Amino acid sequence: MDFKVQAMTDLFPILFKAVGMTLKLSFSSALAALVLAVAIALIRHFKIKFLYGITGIYISFFRGTPLLVQLFLLYYGLPQVFPVFINITAFGAAVLGLSLHFSAYMAETIRGALASVDKGQTEAGLSVGMTNLQVMKRIVIPQAIRVAVPSLVNTSIDMLKSSSLAFTLGLAEIMAKTQLEAASSYRFLESYLTVSIFYWVMVAVLERVQRYLEKRLGRAYEQRSRDVKSRGIIQRFWRDKGIKGYKLPA
Amino acid sequence: MKKIKVLLLGILLGALFIGCGKEETKKDNIRIGTSGGYFPFTYTEKDELKGFDIDVWREIGRRLDKEVEFKTAKFSGLFGMLDTGKIDTISNQITITDKRKEKYSFSDPYVYSGAQLFVPVGNPENIQTIEDLAGKKVAVQVGTNYEEVIRKAAEEVDFEIINYDSGNMIKDVEMGRADTFMMDKVSIIELIKKNNLQIELAGKPVEYIENAFPFAGNSENKELIDEINGAMEEMRRDGTLEAISNKYFGMDITSR
Repeated sequence: MDFKVQAMTDLFPILFKAVGMTLKLSFSSALAALVLAVAIALIRHFKIKFLYGITGIYISFFRGTPLLVQLFLLYYGLPQVFPVFINITAFGAAVLGLSLHFSAYMAETIRGALASVDKGQTEAGLSVGMTNLQVMKRIVIPQAIRVAVPSLVNTSIDMLKSSSLAFTLGLAEIMAKTQLEAASSYRFLESYLTVSIFYWVMVAVLERVQRYLEKRLGRAYEQRSRDVKSRGIIQRFWRDKGIKGYKLPA
Repeated sequence: MKKIKVLLLGILLGALFIGCGKEETKKDNIRIGTSGGYFPFTYTEKDELKGFDIDVWREIGRRLDKEVEFKTAKFSGLFGMLDTGKIDTISNQITITDKRKEKYSFSDPYVYSGAQLFVPVGNPENIQTIEDLAGKKVAVQVGTNYEEVIRKAAEEVDFEIINYDSGNMIKDVEMGRADTFMMDKVSIIELIKKNNLQIELAGKPVEYIENAFPFAGNSENKELIDEINGAMEEMRRDGTLEAISNKYFGMDITSR
């Protein structure tokens, strides 16, 4: 079989240098998207007049058109019509495009999470004299965040991988470097396997973050730690067999 | 509630200003857009940009005493960058076509080549001319002049066009997913040699092409284009251009 491990190890240092760009793009965009999404979700949750309509169009447009098209419009299209946009940098356009695009998805996720909190909670809060903002902060959001986390992490993972489109704007992140080297070395399988490893490692980190967040946020919902199910498999096995040494505390 | 609304509106407006930084443009440097994915004209090896086009520009830069800055981007993004002034010109074997001449000012040609059809080794479908394409699957890269040639040919002969953005049409023809592809003659010959590809030429070049550097058609560029033409003329006369050509192709692709 014609497979050279050398081709993979040759690509490693090149990708290591470009990983910074991928991470910078993804991280900045994810942060910006989250902030935007919270703003939009709150607007839509409270049905604030006028803004409700605008955000509706916003969400529909940014979910309804491909990310690549949006990047092209921002970086190449807008400057043609409004010369003021010529000064936007490639990185700026990429972060802007990614943020706007994914904020639309995140906004819907957050709105759904807010809606999932029983209305009775809000009513109870309001009935004891809290303002809308206090209800949100103290009662609704803490319950809603837990619901929103898996989906938001999903979107972040998507953003990490979508950063590869930035090469159309000239940003050399890991996917671009992979394609360029593969085009000249002609080692496609090796090159794409290598970049897959990079993406997978980054996503695995995100998954870790997700697990941590869910654990922290779910503390109030955890069963008592003395519950048998939280014991190890081996201990349960011996306990079921009635062996004394592996006694579980009451 | 009112305060929140103002805050939210502020966040939305703030989003518009992300990334509004100024891009530096010095008069003493020429920004060249290139794809880095077109062996051996422009390619990367161990993360270093190399190639015929790169060498030619480094030489031009030396003669004009200007700094040459390369910006790589996917081919589909290069013309966009040129239109919005992110780069001064494109060095990616851009062929002079009538449609492009309407929009851009070209320098003098630096490469003379041919639009060539390529087929898997052995030419199983026996393709020699455009007419032989009838009923076949023809691969072509989007946005290239070869795409224009193929589309024009499709008006006369009935065949299926398969568009490629950056995906590997060469490999697809090798594998048999497409019957043939059209690209420039000289670079593919080099690629075949370098990677021992299982493809060969099919017939004679369909069209002869001249490649040059496109510039936005404004008056500032006219001076720049004249200077570049002058430098290239010098390079022709003292044989430097031919030497660069021989380095990559073992022949002179810079004259008719």
